[in-house]
Amino acid sequence: MQRRFLSCGFSLLTVGLTVLLMGSFTQIAVAQTVYKGGKAPAREGKNPLRVIMIGAHPDDAEVKGGGTAALWAEQGAEVMLVAVTNGDAGHQSQGGGALARRRAAECRRSAEILGVSWRTLDFHDGEVVPSLRAREAVMRVIRQWQADIVISHRTNDYHPDHRYAGQLAQDVAYMCAVPNLCPDTPRLEKNPVFMYFADRFQKPNAFTVDVAVDVDRVMDKKWASIDAMDSQMYEWLPWVAGYLDEVPEDKAARFNWLKQWRGPRMLGWTEKSRDILIQRYGKERGEKVKFAEIFELCEYGRGWAGENLWSLFPK
Amino acid sequence: MRKKMMKYSFLPGTFLAALFTLAVFQVALAQTVYKGGEASARASRESLRVIMIGAHPDDSEYKGGGTAALWAEQGVKVMLVSVTNGDAGHQSQGGGALAMRRAAESRRSAEILGVSWRTLNFHDGELVPSLEARWAVIRAIREWKADIVISPRPNDYHPDHRYTGQLVQDAAYMVVVPNICPDTPRLERNPVFMYFSDGFKKPYPFIADVVVDVGPVIEKKIAALAEMDSQMFEWLPWVAGYLDQVPKDKEKRFEWYRNRRFRGRKGQENRFYEQVAERYGKAHAEKIQFVEAFELCEYGSRPAREKLWELFPK
Repeated sequence: MQRRFLSCGFSLLTVGLTVLLMGSFTQIAVAQTVYKGGKAPAREGKNPLRVIMIGAHPDDAEVKGGGTAALWAEQGAEVMLVAVTNGDAGHQSQGGGALARRRAAECRRSAEILGVSWRTLDFHDGEVVPSLRAREAVMRVIRQWQADIVISHRTNDYHPDHRYAGQLAQDVAYMCAVPNLCPDTPRLEKNPVFMYFADRFQKPNAFTVDVAVDVDRVMDKKWASIDAMDSQMYEWLPWVAGYLDEVPEDKAARFNWLKQWRGPRMLGWTEKSRDILIQRYGKERGEKVKFAEIFELCEYGRGWAGENLWSLFPK
Repeated sequence: MRKKMMKYSFLPGTFLAALFTLAVFQVALAQTVYKGGEASARASRESLRVIMIGAHPDDSEYKGGGTAALWAEQGVKVMLVSVTNGDAGHQSQGGGALAMRRAAESRRSAEILGVSWRTLNFHDGELVPSLEARWAVIRAIREWKADIVISPRPNDYHPDHRYTGQLVQDAAYMVVVPNICPDTPRLERNPVFMYFSDGFKKPYPFIADVVVDVGPVIEKKIAALAEMDSQMFEWLPWVAGYLDQVPKDKEKRFEWYRNRRFRGRKGQENRFYEQVAERYGKAHAEKIQFVEAFELCEYGSRPAREKLWELFPK
């Protein structure tokens, strides 16, 4: 029952402190002092790492973290992709429950390809607000998955659903360890490590690359998982960007078109993180990485630094 | 099908409006007029459509009134929107009566500037970034078929300003999604979103991406603002503690207002001198006294600097 991964004998002390009301603050302070700069505890085979990626829509987590998810899954980690909304507004001619069901079916196929689990919190697309109801839904899903690592959007991004999904994930950090919140769902004993997906926005501050993952080995899986989302990749996104007429009819041809269309932005993540890739993988491999996925550490989760943080991610 | 939907949304709207005030009724009417019609791609300057969205009836006029007047003189269609009806902005008046007074003032101001005006009729001091308020903003932007949207940054001293900024940011991109507010035709292109200037430094100071010399229309701007008696000569002096300094005589108080708020700052005295020198040249910049400045928001369309400057009057 007691998952030993990430714990290093402080569990008794921390549990004891938590009993005290004010103790929860002390706990955080203690946890931070202990883990900051300290050595990451060794992972045990029996207790695989548990990761949850929380995107606003059914495709966000797949596009921004699908490769890393597939690598983790191959290495035995338990990965769950969550869409806060059911995506029921993301189409030019379809909508509502019918679209939500279509997108759920697409995501389940994607998840199968990536070797991960998937679910939606079923909020309406375009209507995510940082309400307590939404925060509790995010809190429960993180607790139910017993997540060690949570990855979501930053709170500055072009889509309000992305911004508010990011805010909701931030608002759950720390709170998921407080037993009196959502007492129907057992608290997490440790505040997970919270990370952000990449974005290109500069204000009030630009995205910082804290971890870079070489995903070349699983790119076929990642492309196939994105290809499975017909409603988005071949219908809605090309339509709203004004080039629906460019999408080829033929399945193989449109898959190639997808790679040419979506590839450059992903290559941008590699360029942004080349230094870190070289540090993490060595000069020879680091210089050769074509596709990388990048993540930033959120200040509100458990604090990990440098190589200790890197050791949690697949390599 | 679409016609039917519009009818349904209009009927309860009018009914409620009749229950409230005449001002609200007029807004509902204005909404039916603009509902319908597809937003078309616009390239030329003459067909440009601009919407300035302030929190209160006087915010857009003060921060962007000069630019609005210059645009209007060039044939650009400009709409000033006040998200709240301003019904809390007075020391001894309030509610619907004050809202109607301020609507009348704002309409006179808009006439002087050569622009349109409307309010979304939220209560002053009670704006929150709700979905309902976001939808009202989305509809206003779509109905005006805006190419450029200007609003406050989400950091400013007044919560209504901050939430107006947040609401407008939250409308960016969503205005092109047809399944959001399907009663109002989507825009085909995400407009250029800009912020009004402010003096706040956190989390980062205002960046003047575009500056406009409003000297040529400064008399219009001052006259437009001076139409707002309830604010310039009553509420704002009262809340700042110098109501006793406001002259009784109409002409005198106009001069008093001009001297107090529009002294003009030449050359290096001007906060945006460097940006003015860049856009207008050094020699001209020394003479420019009245400037309005705008920052590009990352969530709208983002034209390159030269393209962006071309959109603004010079």
